[in-house]
Amino acid sequence: MKKQIKKIVTAIFSLILCGCTANSAVFAAEPYDVYNYDRWGDPIPSQAGYTAEKSVTGYDLGIGAMDMPSDIFCAFDGNFYIADKGNNRIITVNSDFDKAVRTYESFIMPNGTKTNLKKPSGVFLSAENQYMYIADTDNSRVLVADLEGYVIKEITKPESEIYDSRRTFNPVRVIADKAGNIYVVLNNITTGAAMFSPDGEFTGFYGANRVQPTAEIIGDYFAELFMSDEKKARRTRSVPTGITSFDIAGDFIFTCTSSTTQTADTVKKLNAAGKNIFADNEAVFGDYAPMYDTSQNRLLASAIVDIDIAEDGNINCLDLTMGRIFQYDEDCNLLFIVGTNSSQTGGFRQAAALESYGDRLYVTDTMKNTVTIFKETEFGEIVHRASYLHNEGLYEEALNPWLEVLERDGNYRRAYLGVAAAKLRSGEYEEAMEYAKLADARKIYDKAFEGYRMDFIKRNFELIILGGIFAGIAVAGIIRSRKEKKAALAAEKSTEKEE
Amino acid sequence: MMELSPVRWVAHILRHPVDGFEDMRWKKSGSLKIAFFIVFMLFLANIANERLYGFNHYIPYDRIFNVVPYIVKSFVIFGAWTVGNWSVCSLLDGEGKMRNICIYSAYALIPYTAQMFINTILSHFLIRDEYVFMAIIRIIGIVWSAVLLFSAIRSVHQYSATKTIAAIALTIGAMAIMLALLVLFLSLIQHVLIFFSTLFTEISYRIRS
Repeated sequence: MKKQIKKIVTAIFSLILCGCTANSAVFAAEPYDVYNYDRWGDPIPSQAGYTAEKSVTGYDLGIGAMDMPSDIFCAFDGNFYIADKGNNRIITVNSDFDKAVRTYESFIMPNGTKTNLKKPSGVFLSAENQYMYIADTDNSRVLVADLEGYVIKEITKPESEIYDSRRTFNPVRVIADKAGNIYVVLNNITTGAAMFSPDGEFTGFYGANRVQPTAEIIGDYFAELFMSDEKKARRTRSVPTGITSFDIAGDFIFTCTSSTTQTADTVKKLNAAGKNIFADNEAVFGDYAPMYDTSQNRLLASAIVDIDIAEDGNINCLDLTMGRIFQYDEDCNLLFIVGTNSSQTGGFRQAAALESYGDRLYVTDTMKNTVTIFKETEFGEIVHRASYLHNEGLYEEALNPWLEVLERDGNYRRAYLGVAAAKLRSGEYEEAMEYAKLADARKIYDKAFEGYRMDFIKRNFELIILGGIFAGIAVAGIIRSRKEKKAALAAEKSTEKEE
Repeated sequence: MMELSPVRWVAHILRHPVDGFEDMRWKKSGSLKIAFFIVFMLFLANIANERLYGFNHYIPYDRIFNVVPYIVKSFVIFGAWTVGNWSVCSLLDGEGKMRNICIYSAYALIPYTAQMFINTILSHFLIRDEYVFMAIIRIIGIVWSAVLLFSAIRSVHQYSATKTIAAIALTIGAMAIMLALLVLFLSLIQHVLIFFSTLFTEISYRIRS
């Protein structure tokens, strides 16, 4: 009997142990230390929001090896379009990402001749007119074609006073807005993206970055005040960094720059007039502080080479230096940091482009020649749900998901903000203050404190008034007794003198 | 007339910023104990102002607590002021003794210290939109202290107004020089200490092996 009980107990314990190890194996899959930033801006370990699902090569898709897949775009039909730069082709992959549906090796021009691509590095599909826009870099042109491979329009170097004719025209990224205006990022232009009307007319530049006023530039400005015009003309001009990539979401165009020295304008949200909505935002994109690499003796600062806006409004930024994806919500609060530089699945050697679709992230690598697919984890799903509700203004509905996030990761700063906002909305001021304090959110704390003070005064109004009256009476009494004492003293003195 | 206790003298000076110090000098009053107490309160006020402030007005970096900056902001600065003023004014025919400079300057710091405490307390009752009240109190405290300090230096050395201003400017210069030398000295000491500690390690390794 005893032996049997022992056996049963051991069996149960071993089962539990097995379960434990199996669970931990699932969560330890990331080939890097997942981290996030705490309220002091220091990196701390965090839970993974995405896990690497698989890494897809050209052979997996049945089209032979890819060579430098430098852009990926998820189209309206659910298919993915990859600019296979080294093989001079565009690949269409189905939405499950296991089979190439079609490859575009060549296109047919309006006059019937065949035309080949040469190092195409950008591809975009418009949902409105169902055209494909290809940045055909080495042919110095942008092709607008339909899905059957017939070219609708060919945009070449513009003949315009604004466009310096000595500059080459090498488009690397292209997008089109709802009205059919075409925006082209050129690899040697720092004055913004070239903008074309729907019929291919060059209309100007759009969304140039600002020159960041570093100490050197300010010094140059004062030096130039004392220079002759000839000398000024021969000096190198300080130009802003160019746009590296962009994405369009609704009426806004998001741009990024891969400059590692610039901290302003690394990510911009531009409206139709080209005004940056994020200009006054204090958010830092990429890693807060560059890491010093002792083996190479250089600083590893984030270089954001591609940007993607997910359907729920989250901003995904791809960092080439460290091979990381930084995901922000639409208010630029950091949600997750995914990926690394490594050879394993989930790591990159040279991350090039990024796309999101549903709960997955797709990243192309121009050195591994793969597309890595990341899938949202359970934790990531909760965070996304909560942040989506929060950004929709449904703070109270977002409360439970945020609390669940905190149960899983008590260091997740964004969640404290969410809880504080929810508690503030529902009038639980004391708790809102507590959570705002934990999130370092001074503005929310201030509002919660204002409400708390108002509540306190309302609750204790009679006591406060009574206290005030008593204090007044007490003060008056003290003053009177003092005066009497003084008068008595003076009287005493005068009587002394008289005597 | 004016037979006041040391504490009553403090009140008298605060209420008579222009000629209060002259009266005190005339009566040869003023207590060193109270002066040190005021500087100690300044030290506490500095800490309170940084660490106990209302969260909606100021977020401290509350991960570490290092007392050295607060000591520098109160004791070291005050000491440098006293020594600097004494050295400058003994060259400029000042009549003040070290003891008196210390006492008079400390008395002048009362409104500034009080302002810090009052604002720290108020910051727990006021929201950010009402910050202007705290700003007013702050300005009053600083201006009051400045006026007191001016008249303190003037009466302790029996200077004219222009000479007082010159003396104060020179004192600030002397303070800067002193603090720079202090930093230099500290880093020198540090190097010497490091030298001896390496020497010790080196020798101890040799003995062991």
